[in-house]
Amino acid sequence: MTLLQASNLDKYFGGVAAVTDLSFEVQKGIIYSVIGPNGAGKTTLFNMLCGYYVPNAGSISFAGKSLEGLQTHQIAALGISRTFQNLQVFYNMTVLENVMVGCHLRTHTGLIKAALRLPSVVREERQVREWSMQALEVCGLAHLAEREAGSLPYGELKRLEIARALASDPEFLAMDEPAAGLNDTETVEMRELILRLKEKGITILLVEHNMGLVMQISDRVLVLGFGCLLAEGTPQQVQNDPAVIKAYLGEEV
Amino acid sequence: MKRLSGFYLYAALVALLPLFFPDNYFVIVVGATVLLNVILAVGLNLFIGYAGQISLGHAAFFGIGAYSSAVFTTRFELNPWLAMLIGLGLVYVIANLVSRPILKLKGHYLAMATLGFGIIVNIILVQESSWSGGPDGLGDIPTLSLFGFVIDTDLRWYGLIALFSLAVVLVSLNIIDSRAGRELRAVHGSEFAAQMMGVDTVRTRTHVFVLSAMIASLAGSLFAHQQAFVSPESFGFVFSIEIVTMVVLGGMASTFGAVFGAIVLTLLPEGLVVFEDYEMLVLGAILMGGMIFMPQGLFVFIAQKLRMLFKRLRAPDPNKEPQTPLQGRKSLECDS
Amino acid sequence: MLDQIIQFLATGLSVGSTYALVGLGFAIIYNASGVVNFAQGEFVMLGAMSAVGLLGAGVPYPLALLVAILIVTLVGFALNKFAIEPARGASVVATIIITIGASIFLRGAALLIWGKDIFSMPSFSGDEPIQIGAATVVPQNLWIMGVTIVLVLLVRYFFDKTLYGKAILACSCNKTAAGLVGINVNLMLLTSYGLSAAIGAVAGLLIAPIAFTSFDAGMMLGLKGFSAAILGGMGSSMGAVAGGLVLGVLESLGAGLISSGYKDAMAFVIILAVLFFKPSGLFGFKSADRV
Repeated sequence: MTLLQASNLDKYFGGVAAVTDLSFEVQKGIIYSVIGPNGAGKTTLFNMLCGYYVPNAGSISFAGKSLEGLQTHQIAALGISRTFQNLQVFYNMTVLENVMVGCHLRTHTGLIKAALRLPSVVREERQVREWSMQALEVCGLAHLAEREAGSLPYGELKRLEIARALASDPEFLAMDEPAAGLNDTETVEMRELILRLKEKGITILLVEHNMGLVMQISDRVLVLGFGCLLAEGTPQQVQNDPAVIKAYLGEEV
Repeated sequence: MKRLSGFYLYAALVALLPLFFPDNYFVIVVGATVLLNVILAVGLNLFIGYAGQISLGHAAFFGIGAYSSAVFTTRFELNPWLAMLIGLGLVYVIANLVSRPILKLKGHYLAMATLGFGIIVNIILVQESSWSGGPDGLGDIPTLSLFGFVIDTDLRWYGLIALFSLAVVLVSLNIIDSRAGRELRAVHGSEFAAQMMGVDTVRTRTHVFVLSAMIASLAGSLFAHQQAFVSPESFGFVFSIEIVTMVVLGGMASTFGAVFGAIVLTLLPEGLVVFEDYEMLVLGAILMGGMIFMPQGLFVFIAQKLRMLFKRLRAPDPNKEPQTPLQGRKSLECDS
Repeated sequence: MLDQIIQFLATGLSVGSTYALVGLGFAIIYNASGVVNFAQGEFVMLGAMSAVGLLGAGVPYPLALLVAILIVTLVGFALNKFAIEPARGASVVATIIITIGASIFLRGAALLIWGKDIFSMPSFSGDEPIQIGAATVVPQNLWIMGVTIVLVLLVRYFFDKTLYGKAILACSCNKTAAGLVGINVNLMLLTSYGLSAAIGAVAGLLIAPIAFTSFDAGMMLGLKGFSAAILGGMGSSMGAVAGGLVLGVLESLGAGLISSGYKDAMAFVIILAVLFFKPSGLFGFKSADRV
């Protein structure tokens, strides 16, 4: 079943084309990777998916619904979540509270109920705490729950973003370079974590520069070059595609 | 229980002071002013401290509340509580109306827009003398009564304002430690990430702006009845700045920081009266110095120093359990 | 009616010139350091008050003006050195409070030195009204506009053509990078505060002969200047000048044709309208939303 479908996407910044005529489909339950050199338009694609940029042409649909005209928070409500290449952690909160924000869409308490702290609020808080601790455990951060988010090292902040996204119980998770800046051990941990998310039934869109990681875990790979689709297929197919080898991996020696 | 330990400590302090000094002018009258400012500062702190926005026109909402109470009780002889509700309703509508365009702005632009709004409201109060009394203000505002119990002494006013101020502090603490409060802080932390978690950030900012405006309106109504007189100069740009200063000087994103800031900034001019002509000079110096040397705010600064002191005191005997006062103070910080 | 409007235009341009100078001061400091200096209005007040004080002490006229500008420039240096530099990296709100603290401090100092009295200053060259077409102006109005034009051109030349000016602009783009290419960032900031204070002082000297001055005269002027800077798009110095002129003219027309009681409100109504419909200001390029 097709979960995400992008058709003929165009995005220009002034006269510069960041993405041109890009179409692809992501099947439910797989890990779908997007690779390409810097400036190929990967993050632009993410930002269009999340409603941060509006495409100049083309459309994206998720589970049969068009994302056109939807704001970021409405897109999130459809079951799409993401992590950020440049971390967007809430540094003014604890680790646990960061993840609790992730439970936003699963709960309903508004300002007035919260001000009066009705019993339903107390119950909901307990539930949110439980969900958040579960998400932290999946990401191996449970022991840091009460720490200030700002005091965590880089690798753990990356996992914190994943935990936060996970807490929103997403159907689809877009991850922007989760392994960038991680050492080898941390990269292995990250790989395990991504596979665990897949086991949970989450469809994953992965942008990553670490080719080893991409080829190991991806079900399908899309190669972008200067905003255009160069190749698409299984890791095996993509690795053997002459256009990819030439344009991206370099000339054969 | 631990969540509210700071609140209980504060409530006890507010309740005990007049018991020990029932006839002390300074404690009762200045105390009531302090508590009124606590309402304003704690309300504005939700918008500035937690949601990370800025408003340099908050005195306008304080003024609209005060003038609603003054005009509706003196000109139309409405029940004061009804007048207070009308004021709240009016502020609800006005704050909602201005929030749509204003809250699209950020940083200095938001500062300018709120500042402009505050000055316009103030000039309207001065100019529309047919109902506002113009620069001379409005007097003879009746006092409040609660179930036949007339609030007609300084001590009773202290009590009534204390009740409202405790309620506002409690509401603030409740909100911060809830889904709605995390929305606010998420908007401050990273607006984009908040949206990605499904937070409608425009709605969140509007809600907190309206709430904090309504809290100011409530304070305004109390102020009008307590003073029995209102005039535009109480609600000008300078007072807007004073409320912001309470929030920032006390410590942003901390309810008790705002409480602390309100206390310090209300008592300071009282103390500086001794210096007479030097009052402004010293006040300005304290604002600058406070922000330069304690950017995290007085409350947080003092709390950190105290913690270091406790650590040093505890150091010789590492096996000893943490003492109770330490626990109390620590949770006060986390919850606030 | 038409004659009246021409008269309002002439008054508006003259008042607007002072707003333009105050706005220019805001823009220069904002450009160099990203700080909105709420003490900008106090520079204006200090310029006028120092000159009045010096004249009272028997200092000859032109010398008194020069010394007044010098004094205020030193105050500008001091503001940067003792209030802004130590607080580098503070949040927007914190810097707003610091500069507001500075403005209260300066106002308090003026109160100590000169008391609560209201002063007037003799004009640069007589008070004989001059008839220009349908408008009657005093020579001081012409001085205001003339000096403003010269100052604006000089500032423009400084930032566009001199290496020093470009170095200051570089600091505003990226302090670290500017430092790495060998620009003395602290010196540039000091210069911009001094320059901005001097321009404020000149504005004060220009306006003092036609508007009375007192220790608290700076606040409203400062807020109007801030409006001018925002109207022009924060960070565009020529925008601030245009914003000041627009504000002065509209305010004068509004006060004359609609209601004089709402004269001070006019500037803020305009600024709110502009912010609502074009949040980056009339001439701004930067968006209000700097993610």
